[in-house]
Amino acid sequence: MSVWSAIMIVVIVAVGTYLMRAVPLLVLADRELPVTMQRALRNAGPAVLSALVVVMVASSPEGVRIDPIEVGALVAAGLVAWWRRNLIWSLIAGMAALWIAAALFG
Amino acid sequence: MCSGVGPLPSPLVSETAFPTGSADFGDRAGPARGGRDRSDREIIARAVRDTVPVLIPVAPFGFVLGVAILESVMPAAVGWSTSPTIFGGAAQLAVVTLAGVTTVWTVVIAALVINARHVIYSAALGPAFSAQPRWFRWLGPFVLIDQLFAVVATRTHLNPEEFRTYYLSVGAFLYVAWAMFVTVGMIIGPAVPSSWRLDSAPAVMFVGLVVVSLTRRPAVVAAVVAALVALLSAGLRDRLGILVGAVAGMIAGAIAETLAARSSTGVHNEASS
Repeated sequence: MSVWSAIMIVVIVAVGTYLMRAVPLLVLADRELPVTMQRALRNAGPAVLSALVVVMVASSPEGVRIDPIEVGALVAAGLVAWWRRNLIWSLIAGMAALWIAAALFG
Repeated sequence: MCSGVGPLPSPLVSETAFPTGSADFGDRAGPARGGRDRSDREIIARAVRDTVPVLIPVAPFGFVLGVAILESVMPAAVGWSTSPTIFGGAAQLAVVTLAGVTTVWTVVIAALVINARHVIYSAALGPAFSAQPRWFRWLGPFVLIDQLFAVVATRTHLNPEEFRTYYLSVGAFLYVAWAMFVTVGMIIGPAVPSSWRLDSAPAVMFVGLVVVSLTRRPAVVAAVVAALVALLSAGLRDRLGILVGAVAGMIAGAIAETLAARSSTGVHNEASS
């Protein structure tokens, strides 16, 4: 990746993010967003992040491949996140599971 | 940055964002509306106290991002610059981990979709900003992240001047602290042995972010459909499966929202008839 394409990514995402944070506030004032738009936007975060994790884990330079140790760690992180509703415990559980599984089966 | 990637449900905002002693501040705001009986200092101190509980949980996230910036094919300085410019943890983490492994436009679109929920926050704060001066209406949205929205959303009853001081204090505190967390991650990152497998930490972090945001059924539908479709399209070139899965998840989520709204109004009609 060239420095210029890296800078371009950051600039476009930064400007786009600012516009999404600013335009509704500046334009709508006291009106509300259309309901359809709210419904589409409300779950955008969970949808894209969920797809992102799956593709990150499933694809390697050699094609679609899944590392059982990593998947185990992600499942542990997911279960603890569900149980504790807490990002720190989820991160600790996921990394601990990764280390234990790697020590046992790695 | 993120305590979750879904919009904050209002009960969460009103109940957990102000764990201690916020009642007196809120109550006194009523009669004082329009007047000015609180000093700037008092408002700033309150802003800092309200912000600390939402700031602590994001510290490890900042460290993970700092380490991920060093692992990224992006130059470290450009990776670091995402904090003061994009200022949104999940989107920043997506940018630095996806850079170089997929097309420029996939990175850009994925990051923008992650931040799309800010549109909802922005619309929700419209009324509170309508009495504000122009400079603040343009500057304020720059720091409008999950944590800031959670903290300021129940302070909109303050008079415009006090709201502005409060909002800017919370925003400045979050902005500086976040850049510091990321910087610390970049400093301690190289000292961490590779056997700790911190290269897997971003994926673990993303899983936590998704699951913590699944507080409502439509969000669960969106995440599950996105994951399944992404798995089926994982073999697509340039990891386009990310966008295919995301779009499928958003559509499924929107349908689930519509069905949920319909069934709840159905129940409401039955109850009232």
